[in-house]
Amino acid sequence: MDLGDLGAAFGITLTYFTIIYLTGLGGLFSERSGIVNIGLEGMMIIGTVTGSFGAAYFTNDVGGTGWGVPWGPVMGLVLGMIAGALFAGIHALATVTFRVDHIVSGVVINLVAIGIARFLSTIFFGQATQSDSGQPHMNAIALPLLSDLPFGLGRAFEHLSPMVLVAVVLWIPATYALYRTRWGLRLRSCGENPEATASLGVRVAPLRYQGVMLSGALAGLSGAFLAVEVNLSWNEGQTQGLGFIALAALILSNWSPVRLVFAALIFGFAAAIPLRLDDAPVLRLIPDEFIRMIPYVVTIVVLAGFVGRVRPPAAAGRAYEGGGG
Amino acid sequence: MATSGATMPTVDERGRPAWLEGLGGQLLALLAAMGIALLAGSLITIAYGESPLTVFGAIAEFSFGDITGFGYVLANATPLIFSALAVAVCFKGGMFNIGVEGQYIVGMMTAAWGALALDFLPGPLLMFAAIGCGMLGGMAFAAVPGVLKVKTGAHEVVTTIMMNGIAVSLVAWAIAGPLRYADTGGGFNVNLRTDPFADNARIPDLGHLIGVGPSANLTWLFPAAVVTAIVVWFILRRMRLGYEARAVGASAGTAQAAGISIGGVQIKLFVLSGALAGLVGMQQLLGDKNFLPLGYEAVLGFTGIAVAFLGQNNPIGIIFAAILWGALARGETAIQIETELPREFIIILQGILIISVVVTYQMAKRRLFARQLQRAAAVEDLADAEAPGDVAAIARDDR
Amino acid sequence: METTGAGRASASPLVVFEGITKRFPGVVANDDVSLELRAGEVHALIGENGAGKSTLMHVLYGLYPPDAGRILVRGGSERIASARDAIALGIGMVHQHFVLVDPFTVTENIILGMEAGEIIDVEEEQAEVGALADSYGFQIDPSAVVEDLSVGEEQRVEILKALYRGAEILILDEPTAVLTPAEIDDLFGNLRRLRDDGKTIVFISHKLDEVLEIADRITVLRRGAVVGETTPSATSKAQLAEMMVGRPVLFRLEKPQVELGPPTLEIRELRGGRLQGLSLEVRAGEIVGVAGVEGNGQRDLADAIMGLRPLDGGSIVLDGADLAGRSTRQIRNAGVGFVSEDRHGQGLVLDMSLWENAVLGRQDDHPFSIRFGVLAIRAMKELARRLIELFDVRTRSIETTARTLSGGNQQKLILARELDTDPKLLLAAQPTRGLDVGAIEFVWHQILDQKAAGKAVLLISAELDEIYALSDRIVTLYEGRITAEYPPDAPPEEVGRGMLGDVAEAATG
Repeated sequence: MDLGDLGAAFGITLTYFTIIYLTGLGGLFSERSGIVNIGLEGMMIIGTVTGSFGAAYFTNDVGGTGWGVPWGPVMGLVLGMIAGALFAGIHALATVTFRVDHIVSGVVINLVAIGIARFLSTIFFGQATQSDSGQPHMNAIALPLLSDLPFGLGRAFEHLSPMVLVAVVLWIPATYALYRTRWGLRLRSCGENPEATASLGVRVAPLRYQGVMLSGALAGLSGAFLAVEVNLSWNEGQTQGLGFIALAALILSNWSPVRLVFAALIFGFAAAIPLRLDDAPVLRLIPDEFIRMIPYVVTIVVLAGFVGRVRPPAAAGRAYEGGGG
Repeated sequence: MATSGATMPTVDERGRPAWLEGLGGQLLALLAAMGIALLAGSLITIAYGESPLTVFGAIAEFSFGDITGFGYVLANATPLIFSALAVAVCFKGGMFNIGVEGQYIVGMMTAAWGALALDFLPGPLLMFAAIGCGMLGGMAFAAVPGVLKVKTGAHEVVTTIMMNGIAVSLVAWAIAGPLRYADTGGGFNVNLRTDPFADNARIPDLGHLIGVGPSANLTWLFPAAVVTAIVVWFILRRMRLGYEARAVGASAGTAQAAGISIGGVQIKLFVLSGALAGLVGMQQLLGDKNFLPLGYEAVLGFTGIAVAFLGQNNPIGIIFAAILWGALARGETAIQIETELPREFIIILQGILIISVVVTYQMAKRRLFARQLQRAAAVEDLADAEAPGDVAAIARDDR
Repeated sequence: METTGAGRASASPLVVFEGITKRFPGVVANDDVSLELRAGEVHALIGENGAGKSTLMHVLYGLYPPDAGRILVRGGSERIASARDAIALGIGMVHQHFVLVDPFTVTENIILGMEAGEIIDVEEEQAEVGALADSYGFQIDPSAVVEDLSVGEEQRVEILKALYRGAEILILDEPTAVLTPAEIDDLFGNLRRLRDDGKTIVFISHKLDEVLEIADRITVLRRGAVVGETTPSATSKAQLAEMMVGRPVLFRLEKPQVELGPPTLEIRELRGGRLQGLSLEVRAGEIVGVAGVEGNGQRDLADAIMGLRPLDGGSIVLDGADLAGRSTRQIRNAGVGFVSEDRHGQGLVLDMSLWENAVLGRQDDHPFSIRFGVLAIRAMKELARRLIELFDVRTRSIETTARTLSGGNQQKLILARELDTDPKLLLAAQPTRGLDVGAIEFVWHQILDQKAAGKAVLLISAELDEIYALSDRIVTLYEGRITAEYPPDAPPEEVGRGMLGDVAEAATG
């Protein structure tokens, strides 16, 4: 018996899991602080273009610092994070300081991101919509033990970016930070009842800035991972709406870092299906184009089925008038 | 009343309508936003070693310098008017239709089907039939997120985005399959597209009547878009659907308590929005190409969101916002020819403009509220609202 | 009744307000207010809605900077610019509407902003909070989640929050508004213990009986200014009321004598949400007052009658026709007028003009709709003008938004709209909440006029005064059921028992 195809599909699932989990976790910190963030997609886009540039710049000898692998690509990821956080600062400025409707600001963020990415791309790569292909990336690793699984299932763990491992364990520090630290307590209180937070002398605005910018950092990291480690290049449109899929995963997770692991796995698997077309004979009966719709359809179905049964942070999306404005 | 001190006339007929009250502030906000964009744009220009005067001068010259240039601007504006109207219609009802993108490309697909399948129709009937098919396609595709929102509560922002992804694949499938160019005999075809439509499917040119060169592609669709904007204004301001939509958008609870079916209004708005979205692609499909290629012009739906914000979701404001946007798009050509700047400079300029507009509108709105409260208190001799924005009162006001 | 506290209060003032003036756009909320709080006293601050009580205390708590005047705490002039400053000075505030984080535990709510360190040790913090509660004799579980607590318990959390921050001065804004009589007794016991412990308590209220019971000293505010200071032994309820309002107040209105007709509204075994089999009946020409502590199903009852929430069972019969399961529009057309407790969330569209609000609910009807769904703007404006004239709505123009109206005028506009359709039944939920005395009188007269016209009125109110002033029959609502029925002259203590479901002997009247 050979389940190698399934193993390979699961390997891709892990890759998509990483993208969706990082971005979804970003959304979690933002919404737990009370700011709805539908600009995740745009923050990812900023991460893709800056990450891809950073990886090339810090790795290569010619026209760069020549740090080589793995530190060059790592710096790319870091650059993506920083750029994502800064870009998210616009969303924070608009929603926290100027109290623009969160959805309006998020939509604008997404619109603007495409333009900024193009503009940066012309500066970075001399062309507007893509970088050269085959940019530097970290060496893939094979997980000991797991990659030796029988029936070809080990293929899932043979060729993984180190970032996948980071994403898999990220729920631990995230949960700790949210539920066991002073910062987490205060952040969550901003998302549930900012008036209560402010009435106790805790300033809401800085915490919300932190939540939103952390969200941008994680989405930027996710985008950088996609460009540097998965696609090995920057291409316009490569985020494919994954920022919104992450948002759906966040809703499905009921805003819990632990449950988000499972939600991201489900959506990651749905996103992996179209890429394993050749392996599943059943899928070949259906036109390619319909297979490509699967992740979107799954997202809609899950959202329609679950949205009434979860409880978002009570203050998320509501303008908060008080406190140092 | 016992507490009344000063006597006030109960009703002052010269009072300005509610919609007009904020207009001054809105205009000011728009000007401020344009000022910010101009300033930021100048800084970028200087950083590139170009004179802002040259750059903005070139944009103005290309857009408004001669009639053909202005023809380009209006042709650019045409689809944007439709897509911004589609966004605005939902927005007035408190909803966000980010799916105009998907709805209009599906609309192009169904319109292409109509133009090909109904080619027996004589004269302009074929054109109208194709346009009708486009609107129906947009309506059907928009109805899905509308119904999902009403029946399940799935937020339209996420569902419409997902529908956009589905639309791209759907149209790709149609062009590669059922609507595929017949002449290639089923073999390879790099240039995937549909058959060309009959000539009577084409929207007649308007530009030649007023001296605009044919390359601008200014068709009768532009005046049609202006008329559509006025019709949408009429629906929103003078018809029951618009009235109910605005009530639902501004206070769903009140609308519901007044017996308005919120779900019904929301679905109607989504369908209306979809019909408008169906018209977005007609300029390139029936005004320009007369066939549907796989490489159709995309993102007009997303741009429509920006234009709707710029026009403050007001149908008449949208006409002007679309023309402004069209001029900036025309500016891409201008700076490519006249300057060393990358054409993406325009995108950045548009981005700054839209962020500034959103923020300055919000500030204008808050000022207006403050002024209205002030005036209200002046009319009352004693305000019985203790203090605006009472911390505690807001706290429990969460339902 | 205990009146010993005043004697123990030291003579030197703890807090002195000197000429505090606070203006909001177009309003002077506090006009040159001077006031002293002494250590170890319960100081009642009374006045009607809008008199400036809460504003004054918000100034003390650092939420609003005063436009003029200064505050001295323990003899030193202090600039209190934020809640943080106030807390540092030992000032704590319990807001009228609690500001608690519902999904958090009691402990998390209390320590928020005062956490021991970067890392939170849950057990240790809970033990500390538990010890604090015990030291004041407060019954509370530190690990309970706030949204599972009763209102009285939530209030205890709020007081503990202030005490945890070392509050010596405790401001309580309308603390009894949401409590049952038994919970009020508990609260007063706790307050007396705190006072005896040396704390200073500011008790903001407009309920005169309670003020007379708990206060050591009383300061009366009217239209932002201090109109007098007194002690419970030196004054009476009628005197206080006159000081508050500036003229003698009628506590009883003349109810019109109307021959009761057949039942207009019959509700049988209504279930859904908090409603657990509620039955009641209102006859033509009758005002039935539903008394009860908030949160016992008042909102669900109103929503159910209006078709705004799904039902699990039961019937709502209006003049013989069952309304259960009908749409809101059908219910309105059947002859129900609705004054919601949520004026902004269910009564008006604040951002629409007065004329658009005036026609709300009738936009389909002749003469407001012409053919093809086109509206007759002129007819709508005519209606608005007529209603505004008739109900004396103070506004500059029918073109301005409803947001620009004061609360009293908003309520008048709603009443005008709802009564203009000549409904068989008026459903009025908390119709005078947040209104000043003048507006309250107006609303009450309108409701009595409905009765005089032979209409049925179902009045839902948390204000027992209002229930007594208007009702022909009082029913008590407790945990989604009508627990008892009383004549309009039943003693309030009995009605209070019905509000707690304690009706073993409270036979229906």
